[in-house]
Amino acid sequence: MSDAELATPFRQRAGGAMKDTFLQEALTIATTKFIDLRRDAFASFPEGEALRDQARAIKEATLQHLDQHLETLIGNVERLGGHVHYAATSAEARSIIVDIARRTGAKMAVKSKSMATEEIHLNEALEAAGVTPVETDLGEYIIQLAHERPSHIIAPAIHKTKGQVAELFSRELKRPAEPDPEALTRIARGELREKFLQADLGITGANFAVADSGTVVLVTNEGNGRMVTSLPRVHVAVMGVEKVVPSFTDLMVFLAILAKSATGQKLSVYTSLVQGPRRAGELEGPDEFHLVLLDGGRIAQIDGPLREALSCLRCGACLNVCPVYRQIGGHAYGYTYPGPIGILLTAMLEGTSAVKDLAHASSLCGACLDACPVRIDIPRMLIELRREVDDKKIAPWSERVAFKLMAKLLQSPRLYRFAARSGRLLQRPFARDGRISRLPLSFGEWTRTRDLPPVAARTFQERWASERDLRA
Amino acid sequence: MTSKAEFLGRIREQVKRAPGRFQASSARRPQHPAAEAETIRRELAERWPETLEAFRREFEGVAGVFHRVASIDMVPAVVFRIAHERQARELVTWHSAALGADLAPALEARGLDVQQMPAAEPVGTAERERLRAAAARADLGLTGVDLAIAETGTLVLVSGSGRPRSTSLLPPCHIAVFDRTALVESLRQVGVFLEAWHGDGRAPSGGASINFITGPSRTADIELTLTRGVHGPKEVHAIFVEQPIRG
Repeated sequence: MSDAELATPFRQRAGGAMKDTFLQEALTIATTKFIDLRRDAFASFPEGEALRDQARAIKEATLQHLDQHLETLIGNVERLGGHVHYAATSAEARSIIVDIARRTGAKMAVKSKSMATEEIHLNEALEAAGVTPVETDLGEYIIQLAHERPSHIIAPAIHKTKGQVAELFSRELKRPAEPDPEALTRIARGELREKFLQADLGITGANFAVADSGTVVLVTNEGNGRMVTSLPRVHVAVMGVEKVVPSFTDLMVFLAILAKSATGQKLSVYTSLVQGPRRAGELEGPDEFHLVLLDGGRIAQIDGPLREALSCLRCGACLNVCPVYRQIGGHAYGYTYPGPIGILLTAMLEGTSAVKDLAHASSLCGACLDACPVRIDIPRMLIELRREVDDKKIAPWSERVAFKLMAKLLQSPRLYRFAARSGRLLQRPFARDGRISRLPLSFGEWTRTRDLPPVAARTFQERWASERDLRA
Repeated sequence: MTSKAEFLGRIREQVKRAPGRFQASSARRPQHPAAEAETIRRELAERWPETLEAFRREFEGVAGVFHRVASIDMVPAVVFRIAHERQARELVTWHSAALGADLAPALEARGLDVQQMPAAEPVGTAERERLRAAAARADLGLTGVDLAIAETGTLVLVSGSGRPRSTSLLPPCHIAVFDRTALVESLRQVGVFLEAWHGDGRAPSGGASINFITGPSRTADIELTLTRGVHGPKEVHAIFVEQPIRG
């Protein structure tokens, strides 16, 4: 999202999304469908629960020796003839990739869907360097043509109608396009096929990297991951350091649950295991293979409060079940990664101050924890983030004062009783039919979108005291 | 620019400081994967009809088209029928050594325009370009199969000499030929084979790309409407040959 859009407060972005009736409908349809597909996939897969536990354990075990696993990975990628690069920041990652493009004389780069390259804002950097980046995942292609950002981790263009896509194609590709998904897909196939065959550079992320064989693993449904790693003469894969797994045996545990969590498929259509550049005797495959290892804030969390978020597989399951995401969609979050996990990842990559509002964009209902294939305790970390936002005085002073007063009140029975009595008195002008629907002054912020239950005529404490007296 | 030493140093420092959240270990790898893979094959040889039936069910479940023939010489007739129904003529195929049989003469005799991929890398880039163009133009791509996974209806193809990646990717219709030796039951068993190929066993080829293919290419990126053949093939056919292909 652009800085200008980020300048809009989160509440306004969310409010805008909630007034967009098409978006509301699209979100409900999409997330409900994903929830059903996921539930059905696991219902017919009894070993799924045990595999989720095992996947979680593998992620934790890998983190405990992350340095060693990465060294093994690096050694194997180099042994296979690949090159490994180290990017502490997004800026470093961009300049590494731009350098590779320059050195190899690349004019066009085809990209398969990758959240890591979204995160580092690679496309802008490539364009500035005179390299045309082409997103080849259909959803990503659509939003690239529309100059937007993905609104869902695995379905980047769910906020667009077929009519909007048809209009977009007619305008940008200068050819007539019917608002029919089949026809639109055919147009994209034709356009992108040319690009796959022409491009010099293929850029991907990595769903996993297998340390002991130097393998980068890409999971796609469309086949663009295969195109991008087979046809151009240079392949660059960008991966967060946390994506490494020790062995193929570990990999299979993740493959068994990833697609089921994301789209309800038993496996995605294509899982590609890429091991360095083209080998002797091979007709196709890149002459050069580069792996860019990305920190970007991840490394500091190995011993940080967001450590658990380093286990995320980017399946999107927590987005679909989140009552907040289902209302506001991905764009309102304002950063690369939306949804409950996105709040944690944004805090990890952009710092806590970036999530001072987002940390509250959760009802803490726990649906995300239930849906997460590796059982990341997202609500726990959101609460910790809220505390940090408060401790570091990032939250607005009025909010901090209000919560401090509240804490004092709840800790002292005498103050609490006093507050209940005065509340009863003060609420008189506002309470109607057992609820308060409008409060004056800035308290009105609270009642703008919901009612406040009034203080009861007799509080529980008062009733308790009198009952006890009666019995005595 | 951050150096490797700096980068890994930072990670090492963090790892040292961080107490693990809980006792955890990664998955236990097979001690002797090649031997274990051999055991799996031997056991499956006893019950391949059930495994095949499970594969067929899953493969059809992901919109694959399943065919079954008695022997490899019956494959060209099936391929021809598929071509004929689609009014297709141009076919690219893995090299006969990679396929386990030379089907080109029989296919050509039926009027198909066959481009066989070379057994080894051709010398010139011009020849490589020509072969790539042939694959990009072809209507049909004919390949073998290294593993067929019953649990998911997946075909596993390893790239290498005579078995280019594009044969199963660029043509709109992919036809894969396999026999009982390729059948495995589960993803877990595939893990054993991958460990064996990487470790103490023999890989099917020396290529750098292993592809799991589970049905035709698909997308649901426009209004969640399922559409096939967005980049990869729109159709995937699997022809099961009852008599082992390599005799």
